[in-house]
Amino acid sequence: MKTIIAGSILVAIGLSMASIAQAQVKPETLVKQRQAAMTLQGKYFGPLGGMAQGKVPYDANVVARNAGYLEALSHMPWDGFAPSTKDVKSAALPAIFTDTAKFKEAQDRLQAEITKLVSVSRGGDEAAVKAQLGAVNKACGGCHETFREKK
Amino acid sequence: MKHVRRTLQSIALVLLFGGGIASALAQGDAKRGLYLAKAGGCLACHTEEKKDSVSFAGGRALKTPFGTFYGPNITPHPEAGIGRWTEADFVRAMRQGVRPDGAHYFPAFPYTSFTRIVDNDLRDLWAFLRSLPPSARPSQKHDLHFPFGWRPLLVIWKWLFFTPGPYASNPRLTPAANRGAYLVQALGHCGECHTPRNFLGGSKQNHFLAGGKGPDGKGVPNLTPTKLKNQSDGELKDFLVTGITPDGDVPAAAMGEVIRNTTSQLTPDDLAALIAYLRSLPPLADEPR
Repeated sequence: MKTIIAGSILVAIGLSMASIAQAQVKPETLVKQRQAAMTLQGKYFGPLGGMAQGKVPYDANVVARNAGYLEALSHMPWDGFAPSTKDVKSAALPAIFTDTAKFKEAQDRLQAEITKLVSVSRGGDEAAVKAQLGAVNKACGGCHETFREKK
Repeated sequence: MKHVRRTLQSIALVLLFGGGIASALAQGDAKRGLYLAKAGGCLACHTEEKKDSVSFAGGRALKTPFGTFYGPNITPHPEAGIGRWTEADFVRAMRQGVRPDGAHYFPAFPYTSFTRIVDNDLRDLWAFLRSLPPSARPSQKHDLHFPFGWRPLLVIWKWLFFTPGPYASNPRLTPAANRGAYLVQALGHCGECHTPRNFLGGSKQNHFLAGGKGPDGKGVPNLTPTKLKNQSDGELKDFLVTGITPDGDVPAAAMGEVIRNTTSQLTPDDLAALIAYLRSLPPLADEPR
């Protein structure tokens, strides 16, 4: 019993310290960082889109490498959409902060599609990879439709 | 108006008396019609948004400030679709925005743009629609806010905001830009989203393609040179084919669908023409969103 209480106190302290650490990051910085994560997703997804359409020669090694990068990157932007950033000017729409469940759903969808991309990119089936790139593209666009101001 | 009536009359005459040879001559080309249907983006609104949905069997919901519209079944099924229509019915729907029973269409069906499609293309589109497998999927009723669901109001709306008639080539534009203008204004109906609307839902024609708020109330980009001048023809072309910008960005789903269904399906010449036309537009300031 005592250990449980002591444990929960420690966890509580840990959590509050973590939230303090969060609170110390300026909203403007969070926005900059999440935008950087988005920019890099563009960097590694862009060439794959060209391959999916046959505009750029298909290169299985580049696909596999970029898919791996994207898997990590696709986890990075989201904690940058902290409520503190709500009033910082960006293309982020208010729905991000009002419809958090749907926003989370869109994140999960992207991550699921990228996980699938990673696994098909290891399989060597070019057609399957191209189809999956289309699915990733749709996950990006689906979220931009609802949560990002159109450019 | 007179001209259209004459066209309709002559089509009716052909149907009545023309017999084999004349109707064979008047018959559209379904294969060409398929290309035109892609250029017209018909699929998106006339197909349900789910896996394994039947193409052109209707069901897509279009949410607007006036309520939700549902694209109807346009396969040749006699009850569920438009199987009982004549070619003249189809031409009248597209050119005049009028149903075979004489009622007016809501402009969610973009006849404000489709009216500019030329007679030959309408005939080919009709031939294509006739070639589709009939689907028995019933069309849904639109779900509109009072009083917008009352169709007689559309008489006034059309009088204010609808100018029927096919595209007439503009002597100040190159042949390529004219072709692009036709693709953008008539088939592509780009202005339906990219031109701002007034409070009655009429397009502000002096702000043609200047962006602002789209029909669903969300912002859409300006397509005039003010906005596009920073992108090369090659960049625009790649974007309209792959759906990805040079920096790897992906547009919102609505445009992604237009790219998949329409712009990526255009011939290289047509795509170049489309871009040439956008370049020729007067540069307009961004609209408020």
